[in-house]
Amino acid sequence: MLEAAGFTVAEAATGAEAAETARSVRPGLVLLDIQLPDFDGFEVARRLATQAGGAAQAGGPVIVLTSTRDASDYGGRISSSPAAGFLPKDQLSGAALRRFLAAGA
Amino acid sequence: MSRRSLAGLIAAAVAATAGYFLVARPPGNASYLVFYLGTPAVAAAFLAAGIAAWLRWPSSRLGLLFSLVGYLTLLPALDYLDDSAGFTIGNAAVPLAGAALAHLGLAWPTGRLRSRFERGVVVAEYASAAGFSLLGMLFWDPAFSGCDASCPANLLLVRGSRPAWDAVNALSAAAGVALTVIVVVLIVRHWRSARGWSRQAMVPLVWIALVIGAESVITDITGLYYLPPLANLVFNGWAPLVNVLGPMLFVISTVRARTARGALGTAIVDLKPGAPPGRLRDTLARALGDSTLQLAFRGADGFTDTAGLAVDPAQPDPGRAVVLLTGAQEAVLVYDAGLVLEPQLVRLTAAAASMALEHSRLQAEVQAQLELVRASRARIVEAGDAERRRLERDLHDGAQQRLVTLTLALGMARSRVAGVDPELEALIEAAGKEAKEALTELRELARGIHPAVLTETGLAGAVQALVERSPSVVKITEVPRERFPAMIEATAYFVVSEALANVAKHARGGTAQVSIRRLPGGWLCRSATTGPAGPGRSAAPGWPGWRTG
Repeated sequence: MLEAAGFTVAEAATGAEAAETARSVRPGLVLLDIQLPDFDGFEVARRLATQAGGAAQAGGPVIVLTSTRDASDYGGRISSSPAAGFLPKDQLSGAALRRFLAAGA
Repeated sequence: MSRRSLAGLIAAAVAATAGYFLVARPPGNASYLVFYLGTPAVAAAFLAAGIAAWLRWPSSRLGLLFSLVGYLTLLPALDYLDDSAGFTIGNAAVPLAGAALAHLGLAWPTGRLRSRFERGVVVAEYASAAGFSLLGMLFWDPAFSGCDASCPANLLLVRGSRPAWDAVNALSAAAGVALTVIVVVLIVRHWRSARGWSRQAMVPLVWIALVIGAESVITDITGLYYLPPLANLVFNGWAPLVNVLGPMLFVISTVRARTARGALGTAIVDLKPGAPPGRLRDTLARALGDSTLQLAFRGADGFTDTAGLAVDPAQPDPGRAVVLLTGAQEAVLVYDAGLVLEPQLVRLTAAAASMALEHSRLQAEVQAQLELVRASRARIVEAGDAERRRLERDLHDGAQQRLVTLTLALGMARSRVAGVDPELEALIEAAGKEAKEALTELRELARGIHPAVLTETGLAGAVQALVERSPSVVKITEVPRERFPAMIEATAYFVVSEALANVAKHARGGTAQVSIRRLPGGWLCRSATTGPAGPGRSAAPGWPGWRTG
């Protein structure tokens, strides 16, 4: 779907794999599922941000957390993470992701 | 004692007292009236105490001793008889009542003499009373005492001799004073060496012995002189009053036993169940009036009392007695042997102790059972909570994931047909909307079963999420940040959830505050509201260790 929307997509199945891929690919945007087999999305987001030298610094990827669950199921953890925002999976679309990119740029 | 022998005793006592009035003549001189009336009064008091003591302590000699004093007090009245034999016996018997009184004092409170020495003192009392009396009679011409020829004869008279009679009297008085002093000293020593119940029983006797002893010494000394009636009244007139104190001993001890019985009854009522055995012992000792009372339990190496002293119920120390307590625990009471005369009191104390111990044991048992029930209830709730968490996860991993995939697929399908087939596009859009609504409903259902936020973020995040979702203005004043066992978090969460639902329902438009605090031994979950419905506090489901306000 994302490729159809014009994105180049690199996939990773686990948190560790994601960190590895992010190092080599240097993505502009990371769509990060909160439920991962190894560590949760918040931890991965923290690692990715550290890897890129902090979320605020330019050059780091825009991180968007996603989950089947609702944002309110995670309380304050989303806003306190270095991620740019949260997108419920059912609302996933190229247009929604582009809005995050535009806001992050 | 059988009814017949009791009737016999009463008849004898009444007959003896009535007989006194038959033979005794009222004195010509009014100053002798106190002796004329005092003698039968003292005797009747002793006789009554004797019968009562016989009834109360059938196994003791105290009844016999009280009665003996009573009869010996009446005996000298025989000298009123116009008969030489009666006159002689009556005069010879004068000092005997005093000896019996000394015997009673030394035998108090059990009725038994304590040592061979004391038996010797009692024998000396009787021997000196009878011996000097008979010896004096050999020389006593009734004329020495102002008796004229109309008096009956002294049958024992060998040769009237005033110097000999005076000498015997002087010796008799000296021996009487010495013996009185010895008896009083012995009684004081009994009091000082006694403990517990017996010591208390000795207290009135010590006072009575001091008074009667003083009176007896004065009578012995003044008896050596011929006193005019008025002087006689001054020195000896109080003798009957003082001697009435003897029977008072019985009255005091009876009242004391009654008081102890009442105090025990009160103590049983007031005893707090579950009090430590030491306090039980103290309460019983105080109520019973025996400070030496010991409560001992069988341990690994024999019986030990509440103060930690070893106790051997098979061989109690001298002056101690033992009673076994009934009940599941093996326990004994060890008490002052003076109490053997009050078996009812001992039985009552033992029953009170048994009941209190049994009560404590049963209470501990019920408490233990209650703990078991509590634990099992907690396990059931915990299992239920785990089951709900599993259900929520299954919904999330299964149906919710599939619906998400479905939504995304429908979204992709819609973008494919966009602009190509507007009718199909509208159809797919409607299907996508249905799928999204189904997803939302499923999410609400899952949250009701178990909130994922609780598992994910703990109490603080979950309460925050609750507050954000609440239609009311809610402020969180206090929530612990750390994680707790799942069941505790779930309970706190649902308490707050329920409270906020009530706030939304009853205090519409008001503001609310939520605070969760960990207290020693429990939790306090408080939500207070102010608003149109007025200040109020939420109700919350009950939970052991939880307080809501």
